[in-house]
Amino acid sequence: MSEQPPIPRPDQRPLPPAPGAGQRRIVLPPHRQRARRPRSVRVREWVRKNLFPSTAGTLLTLVAGAIMGAILVGVIVFVFFGANWEVITHNRWLLFAGGFPHEEAWRLWVSIAVVFALIGAAYGTWSSFGRRDHLFVLVVGGFVIFLMAHGGAAIWSTVYFLIAIGCMYLGYAATVWMPRETSTLRTLQQRIVGGLLAISLPIVLVILLVGGEVGPRHIDGFVLNLILAPVGIVGGVLLGIPLALGRASRMRSISLTCTAYIEIVRGAPLLGWLFVALFILDDVIGGDLIIRAMVVMAVFTGAYMAEYIRGALQALPRGQFEAAQAVGLTPTQSTRLIVMPQALRISIPPMVGQAISIWKDTTLVTVILPLRELKGNADSAIAQFEFTPDRIEAYVFVAVIFWIVAFAMSRISQRVERAQGVGER
Amino acid sequence: MAEELSPADIIAESAGPKGAPPQPAANGDGADVFSPRLAGSKDMIVTEHVDKWFGDFQALDDVSLRIKEEEIVVILGPSGSGKSTYIRCLNRLEEHDAGRIVIDGIEMNEDVRALAAIRSEVGMVFQQFNLFPHLSVLSNITLGPQKVRHVPKLEAEALAMQLLERVGIPEQADKFPSQLSGGQQQRVAIARALAMQPKIMLFDEPTSALDPEMIKEVLDVMQELAESGMTMIVVTHEMGFAREVADRLVFFDEGALVEQGTPEHFFTNPREERTKLFLSQIL
Repeated sequence: MSEQPPIPRPDQRPLPPAPGAGQRRIVLPPHRQRARRPRSVRVREWVRKNLFPSTAGTLLTLVAGAIMGAILVGVIVFVFFGANWEVITHNRWLLFAGGFPHEEAWRLWVSIAVVFALIGAAYGTWSSFGRRDHLFVLVVGGFVIFLMAHGGAAIWSTVYFLIAIGCMYLGYAATVWMPRETSTLRTLQQRIVGGLLAISLPIVLVILLVGGEVGPRHIDGFVLNLILAPVGIVGGVLLGIPLALGRASRMRSISLTCTAYIEIVRGAPLLGWLFVALFILDDVIGGDLIIRAMVVMAVFTGAYMAEYIRGALQALPRGQFEAAQAVGLTPTQSTRLIVMPQALRISIPPMVGQAISIWKDTTLVTVILPLRELKGNADSAIAQFEFTPDRIEAYVFVAVIFWIVAFAMSRISQRVERAQGVGER
Repeated sequence: MAEELSPADIIAESAGPKGAPPQPAANGDGADVFSPRLAGSKDMIVTEHVDKWFGDFQALDDVSLRIKEEEIVVILGPSGSGKSTYIRCLNRLEEHDAGRIVIDGIEMNEDVRALAAIRSEVGMVFQQFNLFPHLSVLSNITLGPQKVRHVPKLEAEALAMQLLERVGIPEQADKFPSQLSGGQQQRVAIARALAMQPKIMLFDEPTSALDPEMIKEVLDVMQELAESGMTMIVVTHEMGFAREVADRLVFFDEGALVEQGTPEHFFTNPREERTKLFLSQIL
């Protein structure tokens, strides 16, 4: 190239060398230059700007800090000094699986391992484990292991749990190591993992229930929550898709039927529908109470899911339908290939909200039906004479467990949204 | 006809088949003008007395137009004049209320199979591109051939790459529509329509949603397509394109076909007052 020095432009004086930059003259734009100052200065500035910007701001910081500090101290004192966690550790099997026979416990562990492996595979396929995800696994895993190890006699449970976590990382590693350089291979991987995810619920039910001495009535404790909620959510989405399409249909009979379903189901609380399960469904479908509860959960969730999906259908630009028509797709193809994938993507956020809601509502089966899920078994635990004073511990524990799962669902949905590009066009 | 012959009339007349009766060059009453290069071509699109109503509003008023194979027709008109409605009737995105539409010999009616046959012969490019945002560029193009024509995947992909090559963006195949510029998206939309190997291409204001610097890249692709012998109907305000590429210009106003003729006729000596007014506003 040219050996001549660069000609300074008349409108711009040559830039002065940055202090300490030596040979290479890298001049950052002003808003980046601040980042070059020493860390202590930056921290001090951040504190002043965000915590003590003005008299009112300072006051707010102090008041909020005092309140938060008091709460934190209270929590720490309660958790580490005040509480008697014996009620949890002593009743851990009751809380976890209740009446599930001990000798069939392997079914639970295998199920957990399968689900964990699939979660890992899904992360590997559509997202990746970040530092926060590892931290979440570490904290929650440590919490569970602490519970199980406390008081001994649960060495094998701990080992099984560690194996399950290992399966999650194995599933992750397997998908990450799988060759996926081309879009065809990526699609193949997504198809395989997606297909496995789609049939994971039946697989788990088969592992839990087929053969041996266990039946639906043995599903108990936290395991019951873990089964009821996915059945409700998956069943709800599967019901919601045809309901949404039906309500948007131009055929009056179909749209009226679907509208009636949605409005009637949404018109009564889940509590009310569980009464239906208890008193009426026995004559209609009979069977175990658990099966009836599952049906009610799915039917109830379906009405809400349908409305979220219908909203998404309306949000789709008309041009998408027209382009599908113009390309020559039949109405069925257009719905399956163009409309539904986009509508489901748009409705992920509200559907996850509903999923978290139904997850917490699984506790209602204890209120109405003589079914004992986690909260119901916590009630049983504190009904034991020696643990009656420890009801706060029991309920705090239950609350924390529910929070952990709800938070995990929220995190996973954020990952799904990002991977699917929700909000992008 | 009592009116004087305009120069465009003379051009059109002299271009007609020898011995044919002189054709009125510019009128709205159903007789059509054809470029000399189309002499002997068969009719590709025939519309006769087409009406279309949206509630009380008449969007198309007795529109009759015949379009030859390989003809390039540019439709002009103010907004709301029915020009988009007209071409949307040609692949039944809108259903016409009266009159006949015949595409390549296939009568447009309630028959679903006739409609499927028509849609597979007619490609359409929209103002807003309407690419499928959840599919990659390649999948946008292969979807139609795979699902409608049942072309094997690899074959469809090879064809798609060929078409992307043709519209000049093969390197974007694995991207998603949202990652492309407007001009690139519209070129993908053209490739998507071409993948169905249509005989007719409809363009509904293909450059109206584009930034000025991207209009040319799309028009270049359309011009190349026109030269390749495609039958094209283009609704556009791009007068340069109309002047250079079109065989015939058609002017719509208030749902009616007001005037038609060669580009020379339109730009030198339009007959109708409404045409003159429109051209004076747009040029």
